[in-house]
Amino acid sequence: MNRKPSLPNAILQYSILILAALFAFYPIWFAVLASGRLGDRLYTLNLLGMFIPTEWTFDNYRVMLFEKPLLTWLKNSLYVASLTTIFSLVISTSAAFALSRFRFYGREFILTLLLAIQTFPGVLSLVAVAQVLTALGLYGKHEGLILAFTAGTLIFCTWNLKGYFDTIPLELEEAAMIDGCGPVQSFVLIALPLARPALAVTALFGFLAGWGDFVFSSVLVPAPDKMKLVVPGLFSLAGSQSVPWGYFAAGAILIILPTIIVFLSLQSFLQSGLTTGGVKG
Amino acid sequence: MAARSGMQKKLIIGFFLAPTLLAVLVFNIYPILLNTYVSFTNRNKAHPNPDCSVLLTSLLDPLCWSGFRDRAPKGLAEPYRLAEPVFKNYQELLGNLFTTQSLLALSKLFVIFLPLFLALYFSTRERRSDLPLASPGWIWLYGLLGSILAAFLLDLAAVYQDILQAGDFLVVITRTLLFVALRVPVTFAIGFLLAVILNNPHLSGRTFFRVILFLPWAASSLAILMARVWEFFFRQQGTINQVLALLNVEGKAWLQDPFWALMAILIADVWFSYPFFMVTILGALQSIPNEIYEAAEMDGAGWWRQLFTITLPLIRPAVLPAIVLTSITAFQMFGTAYAITGGGPSMGAGQPGATEFVMVYAYKQIYQSQNYGRATAFAVILFILLFGATLYSMKLSRATKGVTE
Repeated sequence: MNRKPSLPNAILQYSILILAALFAFYPIWFAVLASGRLGDRLYTLNLLGMFIPTEWTFDNYRVMLFEKPLLTWLKNSLYVASLTTIFSLVISTSAAFALSRFRFYGREFILTLLLAIQTFPGVLSLVAVAQVLTALGLYGKHEGLILAFTAGTLIFCTWNLKGYFDTIPLELEEAAMIDGCGPVQSFVLIALPLARPALAVTALFGFLAGWGDFVFSSVLVPAPDKMKLVVPGLFSLAGSQSVPWGYFAAGAILIILPTIIVFLSLQSFLQSGLTTGGVKG
Repeated sequence: MAARSGMQKKLIIGFFLAPTLLAVLVFNIYPILLNTYVSFTNRNKAHPNPDCSVLLTSLLDPLCWSGFRDRAPKGLAEPYRLAEPVFKNYQELLGNLFTTQSLLALSKLFVIFLPLFLALYFSTRERRSDLPLASPGWIWLYGLLGSILAAFLLDLAAVYQDILQAGDFLVVITRTLLFVALRVPVTFAIGFLLAVILNNPHLSGRTFFRVILFLPWAASSLAILMARVWEFFFRQQGTINQVLALLNVEGKAWLQDPFWALMAILIADVWFSYPFFMVTILGALQSIPNEIYEAAEMDGAGWWRQLFTITLPLIRPAVLPAIVLTSITAFQMFGTAYAITGGGPSMGAGQPGATEFVMVYAYKQIYQSQNYGRATAFAVILFILLFGATLYSMKLSRATKGVTE
């Protein structure tokens, strides 16, 4: 299937690729254009302005960075997302270690239970989660959010890591154990470094759970404005009629671009970390 | 693992599993219990707070537990209690499900999808048998054609109209399943096509296209923000209508039309989700050794033959879990629909809007109507269905390969 394509074939392939690339890129390009437009001219824009920059200003970026609480929101999101990443990585790695390296009574039950329980939709458990957090005095605080996010990512992370750990041959650790390491020590020294792709994917997943979430963060930390995370904060900007859309676009670009860069740099990890581990047989 | 004393092993396992199990207990199992209880009560905007003198409430509601009681919100509103009759929330949700009209519509829907189920059954059987009579590709093609034919004969649109009369639950579920049934094959087809093209090492500009085509995946982690951009394309003054005006075609208010609102969400959601398939399939394609194709070519197999007898069967193990995963995320899609239509356009008072999918419906019931009783009843029915489906699919995958080994 990998022959050098004939000319008509190559034309067909390139047309498909170019069409798909336009489809993929245009929404992001549009957001970039909107972020550089003066005031709220989005509603009166001309056709040309939807495809190429006919006017450009950094005013929206200036307002977002210095007048709106975007930087505070960013700080909140980074705090919540990075602590979520650390907790969920540590906790799910240890659970995946136990489930992958030991055979014990109830192991299969726990694995099935985890998977079946995850089918309960997150939005709907939110009522109860909000109540638990209220009872613990963590409602409306970032710590409560971290707790909820961490718990929400654990099942996927545990399954994904366990799947990857299973593919790492035990013999390597057994060799280390003959040399006098304990099971935990040999796992940490031998298997964990080999599991780097899966750990990277799991970390990314944990981070995005906090970074991109809208429902949990808008419900569990509804107010005040300076406590909000960046996604609900920006979303509320886009929803209000009095705020120019350009502000929203500038804010969105400011947080989407770093996300894209992180994704691109982890691209190869994403492929191997997801296809080798993962929730599958 | 190698011989260790039993006690020590148990301690190690317990130590490493305990945090996960505790979190699952508090944030997964307990919410299910509380939800189930609330679904039998009249908890809503007018009855928000617990009445701790009711035994079950005092046991299940954390705000009644002695350590936390002082944190309970004190309002003047009446506390919630058991609904009368107890199944009231369920009755309201399921509504006219058991009338002749609804049951007839449901059975027609079943007949329409029957060819596809049969295709699934026969293609699995053919794959396992030693002497396959037909390739799975043909079986699926026939199944698809059969379904389309049945849809025309039985008038799918009329069936859909009947289902819309049958109570919130069926409406929302049918609509969501329809969305999944459209989105998953479309994203798979796009992802597969792009992956096959990108897999050709002779293609110049491969890396460039790979990066560009990968971008929506990165943006999808902030789906709700990008969906606002998509919303703009479909506005009356949006990009699409402006381009149409250039071609002298009159656009329409896409998001005010039930059908086109659904299509708008579908297109935007396909944008978010095809890169996942593309990357997964690309990974799987790269693991197929080129020699197989060379051998097939030597035997005179054409491109299509190679596709159906080599490529598709060989990428199946990697792609199947991706399909299951995508189906689940499509089923639970929230941000795209919420940001683009907010569940609208309205289908009349007291009815779910035209694009209220499962999660949007639940969210609106909880946070806009504060109708906890009904929302939790919805969650319970949904959970029973999804739980069953998950156990069934695990049984299926275990039949081919041990899941937990």
